[in-house]
Amino acid sequence: MPSNDVIALTGVNKTYPLGRLRVRALTDVNLTIGRGDFIALAGPSGSGKTTLLNLIGCLDKPDAKPDDGRIAVDGVDITRIPLHRLAALRRNTLGFVFQTFNLIPVLTAYENVEYPLLLQNVPRRDRDARVRRWLDETGIGKQAKQRPDQLSGGQRQRVAIARAMVSEPKLVLADEPTANLDSDTAAHILDLLAEINTRTGCTFVFSTHDPSLIARAERVVRIRDGRIEARQQTADSGQQVREESAVGCLLSAVQEVA
Amino acid sequence: MIIKLALRNILRNGRRSAITLTVIVFGAVGLILFGGYKTRTFFALRESTIHGRIGHMQIFKEGYAKSQSQKPLDHALDDAAAIRKEIERDPRVKMTAAQITLMGLVSNGDKSETFIATAVEPPKDRAMNNQRTTAGSDLPDNEPDTVLVGKGLAESMHVKPGDYLTIMTTTTTGSLNAMDVRVAGIFMTGVKEFDERAIKMPIAGAQQLLQTKKIEKLLVFLNNTDDTAAAHQAISAHVHGIEIKEWSELAPFYHQVVALYNGIFGFLGIIVFAIVVFSVANTILMSVFERTREIGTLMAMGTTRGRLRAMFVAEGVGIGVLGGVLGLAIGALLALLINKGNVMLPPPPGYTVGYRLQIMLQPPVLIAAFLVSFVTATISSIVPALKASRMKIVDALGHI
Repeated sequence: MPSNDVIALTGVNKTYPLGRLRVRALTDVNLTIGRGDFIALAGPSGSGKTTLLNLIGCLDKPDAKPDDGRIAVDGVDITRIPLHRLAALRRNTLGFVFQTFNLIPVLTAYENVEYPLLLQNVPRRDRDARVRRWLDETGIGKQAKQRPDQLSGGQRQRVAIARAMVSEPKLVLADEPTANLDSDTAAHILDLLAEINTRTGCTFVFSTHDPSLIARAERVVRIRDGRIEARQQTADSGQQVREESAVGCLLSAVQEVA
Repeated sequence: MIIKLALRNILRNGRRSAITLTVIVFGAVGLILFGGYKTRTFFALRESTIHGRIGHMQIFKEGYAKSQSQKPLDHALDDAAAIRKEIERDPRVKMTAAQITLMGLVSNGDKSETFIATAVEPPKDRAMNNQRTTAGSDLPDNEPDTVLVGKGLAESMHVKPGDYLTIMTTTTTGSLNAMDVRVAGIFMTGVKEFDERAIKMPIAGAQQLLQTKKIEKLLVFLNNTDDTAAAHQAISAHVHGIEIKEWSELAPFYHQVVALYNGIFGFLGIIVFAIVVFSVANTILMSVFERTREIGTLMAMGTTRGRLRAMFVAEGVGIGVLGGVLGLAIGALLALLINKGNVMLPPPPGYTVGYRLQIMLQPPVLIAAFLVSFVTATISSIVPALKASRMKIVDALGHI
């Protein structure tokens, strides 16, 4: 894999059992994502974008393996490494931002952001500096001692972004990061993500239906019926995605494999 | 962080944790109170058996245990005075007391009954404090022809202090001998069957009746029961021609009570163990189900399955420690209140007098109660912890 690629998928196929049948979720996916990219995975519900995101994030089942093909994350072929190394890869190389924020409710904003650094055994002083820095950079420094239930949706997502960034990952995967936010808050979150991407050079990959997020992406990877349909810049992608969303549910039937 | 997370998650659903803690506390308190009662009972029974009846050790003439003699005192100690002198040199020895046991018939002129007499040295016997004199006085020091009569026997014979009885037995030479004795007092030990046959008399009177100067055995009393084995060893080394039996060999009833109580205590422990296991397992399992998405998030961030298991086991440990500490505090407080409350229990089977309920707070009981709480809570967290750590990340993240 060229050193400039953070992700490289080659000939990836993935099926899931559904009762006595198997449904095809991804078909012959080939994709490379470079360092510093700001990419949207777009497609209707059931198109396979979450499956793709889960495979890249080493989250898909214990072994994280596709049926066929190869997935390299930061040069590591994740289809060939044991479980504990997958956990280490997620810990050190990846950051996650979830649609529902997924903060640990019993921890304060500070402690939530601190958690990934504890997993990395970062010394206390360095840990504290990095946590405070990211809380400030995401604009949540004043709420450091508050727990998630004392924060608004936008504030929670800012904490989640700080938590994803504090371990200085090479790649942040975000699954519908603005879906649970109002449009103003979503815009602010998008501004924040774009600003972090520009400043840190960290790669961001989103799965989204949100036209405004797609409009902000440097590159859009469209998925339909488990296949990558097109790759294009964002010039007119907003309108196109709105159309996809309207008919997406009808067209997104997964293929059954005999 | 694991401990912090565990404690906060315990407090997260306060009501449920409180119910679980209550179960553990009840268990620990039950173990402390019953264990303390058991310890106190063992202690009291042991000490009353030793000081009231058998001494820490009994010294017989060598070969006594195997002797099949038909006549009284065939295997008696000939030179008790020299043996006593040697034994009493040991600083662990508090005193020695000579005894003879004899059986025979007692008559008031109208009625005869069989009796079992313990012949004692009156001053030593008073020091043993093994009986309650219900009427009259204790045995006088220098009147060989006086007796104390057991309460049941006195009632049967219609005698009171000051009355005279005739006692008859076989002498050491095999002939019959009788003597008239004055009833100095009526006594009771609390053991009904014993009190219906018991007579206590001075050893001088018994020797006169048996026509001998020998004694059957020497009871050895120590300052501390824990020194029994060491004193036994020392006496064996210095005194020859004797046979020594420790109190433990002479007290089958004590061992029966210990076995019975240990059985009950063990059964109670198993019940407490099962209740605590199910209760804590239920609490943590509910917590695992409620926190499925959180578990997925933690694993997505790179938390290893081992660390995840440790987090849930830490919750079990936390609940166990909290429950154990609370249980110890409440159990100890209740034990103190009970001990101050002067609660009387009814007489046990075979006894005629009740006794005071007392709880002995000994470290082994407290440690056992704490460990049962702690270990069971920890064990019961293992299954939920394994369940949490085996979740598939994608499924856990998608859990609603």
